[in-house]
Amino acid sequence: MLLLVFMYISLFAFIILSLSKAMKYAKMPMHSRWELYPVPKEKGRGEYGGSYYEEVKWWEKPRETSLAGEIKEMLKEMLFIKNLFINQRPLWWLSYALHLGIYLLALWTVLLFIGAITEIAGLPMVTETGVNKHWWAALIYYCTLFTGSIGTILAAVGAGGLFLKRVFNETLKKYTTPQEYFNLLFIFTVLVTGLIVWSSDPAFNYGRDIMKRLLTFSAIQADTALTVHIVLLGLLLIYIPLSKMSHYVGKYFTFHKVLWDNDPNLPGSEVENKVKEAGRFKPSKSWSAPHCKTGETNSQ
Amino acid sequence: MVKNRDLKPQDIGRPGEQLTKLGKLMELPAPYDDPDMEPPLTEPKDSWKEKHCASLDGYIGIDTLTRPQTKKEEEEFVKKFLSGLEKIFSDETNRNFIQPLLLSFEYCAKCNTCSEACHVYQASGKNEIYRPIFRSEVLRKIAKKYFTKSGKILGRFVGADINVNWETIARLGELAYRCNLCRRCAQTCPLGLDNALLAREIRKIFSQEMGIAPKPLHEKGTMLQLKTGSTTGITKPALLDMIEFIEEEIEEKTGKKIKIPIDKKGADILLVHNAGEFMSWPENPAAFAILFEEAGLDWTLSSEMMGYDNVNYGIWYDDLQAKKIALQQFKVAKDLGVNRIVIGECGHAHKAAAVSMDRIVTGEDNIPRESFLPILWDLVKTKKLKLDPSKNNFPVTLHDPCNVVRMMGVVQPQRNILKAICPQFREMTPHGVHNYCCGGGSGFAIMNYMNFPEFRNKVSSRMKFKQILDAFQDTVKDPGIPKYVCAPCSNCKGTMRDLLEYYGATEKFNIHYGGLVELTVNALVDIKNPFLEFLQE
Ligand code: SF4
Ligand code: SF4
Repeated sequence: MLLLVFMYISLFAFIILSLSKAMKYAKMPMHSRWELYPVPKEKGRGEYGGSYYEEVKWWEKPRETSLAGEIKEMLKEMLFIKNLFINQRPLWWLSYALHLGIYLLALWTVLLFIGAITEIAGLPMVTETGVNKHWWAALIYYCTLFTGSIGTILAAVGAGGLFLKRVFNETLKKYTTPQEYFNLLFIFTVLVTGLIVWSSDPAFNYGRDIMKRLLTFSAIQADTALTVHIVLLGLLLIYIPLSKMSHYVGKYFTFHKVLWDNDPNLPGSEVENKVKEAGRFKPSKSWSAPHCKTGETNSQ
Repeated sequence: MVKNRDLKPQDIGRPGEQLTKLGKLMELPAPYDDPDMEPPLTEPKDSWKEKHCASLDGYIGIDTLTRPQTKKEEEEFVKKFLSGLEKIFSDETNRNFIQPLLLSFEYCAKCNTCSEACHVYQASGKNEIYRPIFRSEVLRKIAKKYFTKSGKILGRFVGADINVNWETIARLGELAYRCNLCRRCAQTCPLGLDNALLAREIRKIFSQEMGIAPKPLHEKGTMLQLKTGSTTGITKPALLDMIEFIEEEIEEKTGKKIKIPIDKKGADILLVHNAGEFMSWPENPAAFAILFEEAGLDWTLSSEMMGYDNVNYGIWYDDLQAKKIALQQFKVAKDLGVNRIVIGECGHAHKAAAVSMDRIVTGEDNIPRESFLPILWDLVKTKKLKLDPSKNNFPVTLHDPCNVVRMMGVVQPQRNILKAICPQFREMTPHGVHNYCCGGGSGFAIMNYMNFPEFRNKVSSRMKFKQILDAFQDTVKDPGIPKYVCAPCSNCKGTMRDLLEYYGATEKFNIHYGGLVELTVNALVDIKNPFLEFLQE
């Protein structure tokens, strides 16, 4: 039962801590414009880095943005880590293996969930004679198998490989802190314990079983290997949002709220309202150089 | 001295002389592939070392940063730095940048992608201290050590392993002035982080808390502008004299009698120039006047305090100064009752007025600002100007000012114009939003003291010089063919002037620089003699 409760807590902590990190950034005061082109939402101009400033009297023209352009760019970055692919290929292979592995494992978790529900609904994945012949059960079964195995292997190769690369590459080594090595090792260890558990249950029946128990609040039966794996995974889930590995949150803000935020301060716009509101802020502290006087800290 | 490539962020506090020395720089293309073609590196003078911080790389960027005389002075300096450091992380004192700053501060994956993009790092022959994350990492380590719980408890484990003293902080301050704030690094970062912003925040601590900033930026820059209206110190009568002189020049050169409109209430356009143009390149405001008059635009210049100099050096180092200046510039336009402010050939004025300062005014104070580039393209496209491209039949390449292009997204108009008026136009590689900085960005162009220009010409402008030579490879060695680098930005022009002179490129290879409006005027059908001086003989 303890394991079950711990799993609940760690999952919950992952979500809450990630959200609170996002909230922390979302609640910060409006920043000065600090965009950087190309801004993909610029309709018809995103591709070459242009903006509405290319138009004469741009403020009199309707602002044309392209959600498709933005989503396309976002997907390229999310699914392929485009920037790293273009600019830093040697590191991309390992980094991408790690990320693709994690994406596959996320998908695997969803599939485990679907599989568990399917079984609870009375359609088992595996029957006496082997994999259920029912198309749905078979589909879920094989997809789970595929995502789980490939995902774990890719992620492990990525995490382990990145760790070694950082140890042996003179430049990377200089900038890597012990904590950053620890992060990679932590992920790697969780994946290796996963591999050990998997080796004795190649069809991931244990995973589905845990899912079912999570859904039905019943105690998890686990041997030592599985217990170690669950505990480490839980700890990792709690640790990720507290560490730099929460860059899935940061990246949303760096791109959407800073680099791609070029909304002009037009009369009647939301930006204008925020500027007015910002103007009312009276800081209680200020800067100390002789030319900086109190009350002028809210600078731009 | 540790070998350049072996340096690591922790070495910033290394006691002793100079942390690093420029070694083998990036190679230049022909005809500068022979090292004898460029002036050699020099050593900093002992007197500079005694007085300033030459212990980073031997160059002095901050002329007002002086060595403390007593232990107490040093303690005071350290204390001030730390209190400034705390302030940039507080949303009370750094509201406008706290979000972008924290993001860039927290998430660096140390993947080094940004280093490949940085022209300073590449041009230096990959000297470790110019690697964009070297500086960022020093800042991170110090901030973690002094201001985070994890840093206090876990220390080295989380990277909190730099102690500060005068030398360390001074070197970090100098290092913040080895970056052009061009943000090319940020374009390539997979996490969208911005090393330029961190460099700027360091400058901000120095200026806003410690009262230390290069003189040309602060004392003779924003302070002078707030006092006299312009960083050039030109007064109103002097300006009016200059405008009269420009009118005479126009008549002499083109036969056109033009009365430049000044302080015309209710005009459609208030055109604002970098006042440096009046002093150094009067042909530029002249060209604007010719084109605007020819096209029949309703425009005016302002002779009001803060109305005739569009520069805003604050954006390089000090938020408060930037805001003070911008507010007064907006006011001039409002008082004149114009519909719009059009920004002339000055890159940082583009960024300051149109972008950075877009969130300080509302309602009637918010006078729309636009670049001159779309207007000029419109005049060319709609044939309001009668142009003959054969008058510009020599190789021309275009430098994209970072502030106009990468930071504002004005990319096409200038190329469209050049394609229409210069038959031998060729692009640099890379160009557009992926261009390289001219090397004079973030104030470097005007920091002309001690040995700083050597750093600019040798290192920060080196990539641009390479690009220029590459663009002209077909004709570069033939001094009989004039070549033109079109740099529609006052700051970039200042850098080019120095660069071409330093390498003797004009004298030896007939490479010239100048703005876009001059080229356009040169192509005007009804002007008999060439407007560009180098075509005049
Ligand atoms: S590219 Fe971005 S994440 Fe990578 S080292 Fe540079 S700043 Fe850090
Ligand atoms: S802003 Fe430009 S000069 Fe500064 S680190 Fe980035 S690429 Fe280099």
